[in-house]
Amino acid sequence: MRQIRAEIGAVSKADGSAIFEMGNTKVIAAVYGPREVQNRSQQMSDQTLVRCEYSMANFSTGDRMRKPKGGDRRSTEISLVIRQTMEACILTHLMPRSQIDIYVQVLQADGGTRSACINAATLAFADAGIPMRDLVTSCSAGYLHSTPLGI
Amino acid sequence: MVGLSLGEQCFIEGGIAQDLRCDGRRRLTYRPIHVETGVIPQANGSARVRIGATEVIVSVKAELGKPSLMQPDKGNVSIYIDCSSTAEPAFEGRGADWLSADLSNALQRCLLGAKSGAGAGIDRSSLVVIEGKICWDLYIDGLVISSDGNLLDALGAAIKAALSNTGIPKVQIAAGASSDEQPEVDVSDEEFMQFDTSGVPVIITLTKIGKHYIVDATPEEESQMSSAVSISINRQGHVCGVTKRGGVGIDPTVILQMVSAAKHVSEQLINKLDSEIASAEAEDES
Repeated sequence: MRQIRAEIGAVSKADGSAIFEMGNTKVIAAVYGPREVQNRSQQMSDQTLVRCEYSMANFSTGDRMRKPKGGDRRSTEISLVIRQTMEACILTHLMPRSQIDIYVQVLQADGGTRSACINAATLAFADAGIPMRDLVTSCSAGYLHSTPLGI
Repeated sequence: MVGLSLGEQCFIEGGIAQDLRCDGRRRLTYRPIHVETGVIPQANGSARVRIGATEVIVSVKAELGKPSLMQPDKGNVSIYIDCSSTAEPAFEGRGADWLSADLSNALQRCLLGAKSGAGAGIDRSSLVVIEGKICWDLYIDGLVISSDGNLLDALGAAIKAALSNTGIPKVQIAAGASSDEQPEVDVSDEEFMQFDTSGVPVIITLTKIGKHYIVDATPEEESQMSSAVSISINRQGHVCGVTKRGGVGIDPTVILQMVSAAKHVSEQLINKLDSEIASAEAEDES
């Protein structure tokens, strides 16, 4: 595994935030909530609504990329993965009729961005004081010449 | 969005009239500024600037490209700003499009001058490799991570710091190429040319509240503004660009007063930024 660095409270305006670095991959996560639901039709009377947005900065990859914000399929998929993971670990029934937003921004991408995002999100939730069952961690693994590797 | 009661609004306006702002600053005083350079290793240059709680990251990437037909002796510079949703929930999805476009345009006006290149703060002639054929394209990308007022000044300072940190690779041109063919170039991995940033201006935004103007407004103060003028001034005290925001009209004499106030403030800001950039670069090297 690569060297890990984490920093809590990077974005002072957010309720909770964290920067997570795994080798050269650097990700910042900010949590806003629990707060009033913006879209009344999505409000749930028995639990909180968790929303997530994942985006990559223009300069995050080696070649500069011009990404369409909010329309990228990969971003939508990763947003969904992070949202489902965090929804499973937050005690959502403790905060009904409210909304929690988690925004994850990739500053440097060098593999394993998905895992770094989940780890950053966990730290941001902990910083925000949102009740969770446990801390969620994530790591990618792969095979190279039939040898398993952690990324 | 900032919600202020009538009492708070009077407090802000009254305080500014007496040269005392809510956080104890005077009208023309900036919040503490912190600069870090070299934060994005894969970029040619980068910087992270914090003014108070506002935090921005700027990266500069250089790629080889073709100069435009109108200006074959100049390289291309493009500035693009993105507001991350971590700064503000309202920036989610397309929510920050108008703000990003507004900031990008204002920065282009302040730093790049006219379409012909006249009066530009950044010297584009230093980016040309072979006149008319090959030049460097500089992509300046800014990302707003945390927004606590005064984004334009923070981005201007970050662009200046990132350009100071930028190293353009040295290029060897293969000799003996005919004038029609595309010449071969060898981009060095080892040697870098530091970008000359002595002419890069800083941006000072003066926000008018009541009868007085302040520098480095917080979001609460910005919500009370009648208008704001952003002026970019270089080391020689020349005005490189002016942008006015806000719906209320300003008397032309007041604008001239604001420009001279900005000139006065710019000297301190440029000195502060230069010393911060120098110490950041020294830390980067150690």
